Amino acid sequence: MSLVPGLGIARGMALTLRRFFEPKVTIKYPEDRRDPPHKFRGRLQLLYDEWGTLKCETCFQCAQACPIECIDMGGMDTRGRFHVHWGAPETYGERREESALRRSGRPVPDPAYRPFDVVDLAALDAILDEHDHDPARMLQILEATQAAYGYLPVAALKRISQRTGAWYAMIYGTATYYSHLRFEPADASRQAAAMDASRPTEGTYLTALGTALAGAPRPRAKRARA
Amino acid sequence: MTVVGRSWDRLTLPGKIIFTAVPVLIILSVSLIAAIALLGGLVVDLLANNLPIVRFVVAVTVVLLMTIPTAFLIIYMEMKVIALMNLRIGPDRVGPFGSLLSVVHGLKVLMKEDFTPTGADPLVFTWAPVVTYLASVMTLLVIPFAPGFFGQDLNLGLLYFFAIGGLSVVGLLMAGWSSYNKYSLLGGLRSAAQVISYEIPLTLSVVGLILLAGTMSLNQIVLNQSGWFTDWYVFQQPLGVLIFFIAATAEANRTPFDLTEADSEIVAGFATEYSGMRFGFFFFAEYVNVFIISALTVTLFFGGWNAPFPWPWPVDLALSPGQLGIGLLILVAIVPLILTVAFAAPIWIVSARIKSWQALLGGFLLANLFVMAMVGAVAYIGIEWVAGLLWFMGKTYVFVFTFVWMRGTLPRVRIDQLMDFAWKWLLPAAFLNLFVTAAAIVVAQSVRPS
Repeated sequence: MSLVPGLGIARGMALTLRRFFEPKVTIKYPEDRRDPPHKFRGRLQLLYDEWGTLKCETCFQCAQACPIECIDMGGMDTRGRFHVHWGAPETYGERREESALRRSGRPVPDPAYRPFDVVDLAALDAILDEHDHDPARMLQILEATQAAYGYLPVAALKRISQRTGAWYAMIYGTATYYSHLRFEPADASRQAAAMDASRPTEGTYLTALGTALAGAPRPRAKRARA
Repeated sequence: MTVVGRSWDRLTLPGKIIFTAVPVLIILSVSLIAAIALLGGLVVDLLANNLPIVRFVVAVTVVLLMTIPTAFLIIYMEMKVIALMNLRIGPDRVGPFGSLLSVVHGLKVLMKEDFTPTGADPLVFTWAPVVTYLASVMTLLVIPFAPGFFGQDLNLGLLYFFAIGGLSVVGLLMAGWSSYNKYSLLGGLRSAAQVISYEIPLTLSVVGLILLAGTMSLNQIVLNQSGWFTDWYVFQQPLGVLIFFIAATAEANRTPFDLTEADSEIVAGFATEYSGMRFGFFFFAEYVNVFIISALTVTLFFGGWNAPFPWPWPVDLALSPGQLGIGLLILVAIVPLILTVAFAAPIWIVSARIKSWQALLGGFLLANLFVMAMVGAVAYIGIEWVAGLLWFMGKTYVFVFTFVWMRGTLPRVRIDQLMDFAWKWLLPAAFLNLFVTAAAIVVAQSVRPS
């Protein structure tokens, strides 16, 4: 209650009159659409290509770009050979048990572990020395490694990870991103055979599909170009 | 099939229409001309001999027809203005800026089922909205819209206004009683209590004005206020205006006194059982009432159709096109061209991206606007009722806007507050206004006997 009778009414009327001239908040929906919020980055979703396989190349660019580091990813690499994961093991659901084991000091069995070819790492050590063990020069290191071995052996990648201190996942992501880097010797048929051996279901399916479509079966792997 | 039938079948649809319409039109126009030639003088004589009756019939027709666009306009204003005050956009789909939405509402109401509840008194139930509506419309007959533009210049115009306006209570009571519904009956009684309570301060608030004006003819009251706007009665009766406006708000059942149908709080009162166009008529009456109350406020206190100040530069429009002779013909032929080019030139010059035909089109439209503005200005200066109607409508719609504005702002009062306010505040204030005015008149007359 104000002292002057009618003052409240006058102030209310003044308020509505002011509102009358103010810009309106309505968005005419079908014609106009509100811009998404400034930091909206879309929906996180794994997409499948037309053959029903995951399009994700596990390059970890999304995880590196994520400003709040909400992306943990892990699983078999694109060749189905060994585990790659991004993120601390503690936060990573599939690896929680493993993490507990590791803290208990026991040896951790990795169900995805597959013994890989032993290669002579002397050449790699020379390359690393030359590049000063600098993780920031990862691409040059990887290119030099591929020049030395003809491809990027898993043992070499692990060694790079140990020596430079970069996460294995980071190295793996860099290597998968550049199409001129490869993980197998440039031998498509051997690689395809290996693929068939490791993932027989998919190989059979693809062969059957190629026959059914009466065309050439698609190249097994995008990277097998040589 | 005959030859005629075969030829008829060969015609396309437009051909058939033309072949039937043209002879019918010829016959109709010939017979119309013949009728005018034979009976025209007779009819004109008949009309001239019964001019008051003709005037009355025309006035009633015009007033009845006028209520329809008025109500549509006010409904649209209500939707749009309140929306804008709520920071919404409001109607914008039908017509330019949604201005045809109220027409759509009207059509919708017409097409709805018109329901009569079991046990209702069908006769009274049907006539209640008509009574309410007509009570509003008939009051329009005495309102002077412009010099010479009024239905009847009754010397008891104000009394007629309040008497007929008070009849709307009868309509509300009829509606409430005949609905065969306790809520409707209670709502009707509630509205009757409100309207009758507020009629007393409403009527008393203008008695002071009647003392000042010395007449109850609305036309004369308007004439008394001619001249500068300081002659308006609002400056002699400020309290009277306030009381009148508040009481009129309650009388028209508008927010914050719309207790008769407090749609968001209690059952809609007398209109509970109504549907379709009979329901629509109540709201038609309400919106016409808003217009009428605004018009009466303007007429009584704000100078009616008088401009707020006399035109300071007297213009002598001694236009006589006939004097120009053959020059007039040349003028009619050339002036549109010259105007179009004259208005197109600046558009064409202002940007090289504007093509010449676009500039000419714009120039043509601008020239039309210019000519219309000039014709309007000449009409405003030269014809008295054009200016009067403009001022009257302008002022009236300012008050209509105020009613809508109040509806967008003020919350509804409680029924006890409503009654307290009428009897404990408005009525004493109206008496005070009356006595002070009367005393002032007596004093003025004794000091300056004239």
